Amino acid sequence: MSRVITITSGKGGVGKTTSTANLGAALALQGLKVAVVDADIGLRNLDVVMGLENRIVYDLVDVVEGRCRLRQALIKDKHFPDLCLLPAAQTRDKDAVTADDMIALTNQLRAEFDYVLIDSPAGIEAGFRNAIAGADEVLIVTTPEVAAVRDADRIIGLVEAFEKGHPRLIINRLKPRMVSRGEMMSIEDVLQILAIDLIGVVPDDEQIVTSTNRGEVAVLDRSSRAGRAFAEIARRLAGEDVPITVFDDNPGLLNRIFGAFGIRARGSER
Amino acid sequence: MTTLVAIKGGKDGLRLHLNEAAGWSDVLGALRSQLGQGAQFFNGARVIIDIGNRSLTEEQLAELMGLMHEHHLEASALASTSRESRSAARAAGVVARPVTRSITAPESPDGALFVWRTVRSGQIVRHHGHITVVGDVNAGAEVVAGGSVVVWGRLRGTVHAGALGDRAVIICAIELRPMQLRIADLIARAPDGAAIGHPEVAYIDGDQIAVESWERYRRSNRSDL
Repeated sequence: MSRVITITSGKGGVGKTTSTANLGAALALQGLKVAVVDADIGLRNLDVVMGLENRIVYDLVDVVEGRCRLRQALIKDKHFPDLCLLPAAQTRDKDAVTADDMIALTNQLRAEFDYVLIDSPAGIEAGFRNAIAGADEVLIVTTPEVAAVRDADRIIGLVEAFEKGHPRLIINRLKPRMVSRGEMMSIEDVLQILAIDLIGVVPDDEQIVTSTNRGEVAVLDRSSRAGRAFAEIARRLAGEDVPITVFDDNPGLLNRIFGAFGIRARGSER
Repeated sequence: MTTLVAIKGGKDGLRLHLNEAAGWSDVLGALRSQLGQGAQFFNGARVIIDIGNRSLTEEQLAELMGLMHEHHLEASALASTSRESRSAARAAGVVARPVTRSITAPESPDGALFVWRTVRSGQIVRHHGHITVVGDVNAGAEVVAGGSVVVWGRLRGTVHAGALGDRAVIICAIELRPMQLRIADLIARAPDGAAIGHPEVAYIDGDQIAVESWERYRRSNRSDL
């Protein structure tokens, strides 16, 4: 039974695309067949983060408008033969597809893949609505900042209104040392406001900047803390019961295991 | 005295009942003053206008719609048993339905609305009576009540009690940290600083909004509580 999961956030620049690329790669590492779909039509960049920009011939809008078959538009990843990208169109805008188009498209993808991850555009307009139209479940990405959390709250309300079940939360770019100095919202602060299940915490990691610029996903780099966090989230998505690790930004310190605080990720038992 | 205009909250939103027997100009006058008093309550709301079996001419309907527009109200539908009124409404581009009297909100006998969930940013809870929220009201959310507002949780959004003009209402919450407090025609900004850590209540004292701990309020103000 394949699953369609949309990654969204409300606010831009919090790490939706990086999360989609890394979760897609981490699921493929587990031997699963994965499609990642860039639903940010007109502002595509999932292809850039995955280093596949120069291989695009057809895109999502070409498929929807019948100029090519789905298989022709899917681009195989450089490292994982079972990971495919469906790129967004760059020369069109959000009006080029409808929610029904997206539902039809995801149903086609379900036939061939175990997981379909959809990278949503920022915002609450048509692009976001299209991105969640075909989804079975939704992951919300936020950073521990007031503005990002506020937008995440808004998005959660909309996801619930569209009856997409209970979304789960990724807290991205956490800086544990800033939290311990009281300069950044803590995991508990964010969860207190959003009141949804946490599926993972990704530490702030400068290596992510270089890896996304190079078009290499962080999960391939064993030394990357963010990459390890994404690999853990992928295991939880697949249903494993993995306690949430907060990888500290000081490599000399022991990782703090959040299970000790009574916060545990919930597997996908739903 | 017969009620010329009544406001009810229902499952499908606010419902304006206009007395079907009284003179049209009286009804319209009552509606005008009601809308004037509760300007902030109604602002931007979508309402169903229920005119019962009254027959409205196109001119009367235009008057009614003009009044609605003036007060930034959107008529989502006109409910009427009169075929004539419904066709006048359709001609004016308003959705018309036969009256369905069975619409009742899940409310207690005294007209309170019970909300058992987190009210999130961008969501609005609006009701003509009291509102009780079991859960948090997050920043960016709005709660607008004709009566009092009780939040069994953290109140961080914007709240307006007595939005139809009633000053004898209260707002209380386990953690009262709203963006803005409004009671009737008064507005207060939340004080800066950290959470107090005990339940508080806001009410009108003289001509301003006062906030104090629930325990103190209970001891000093109301011996009957």
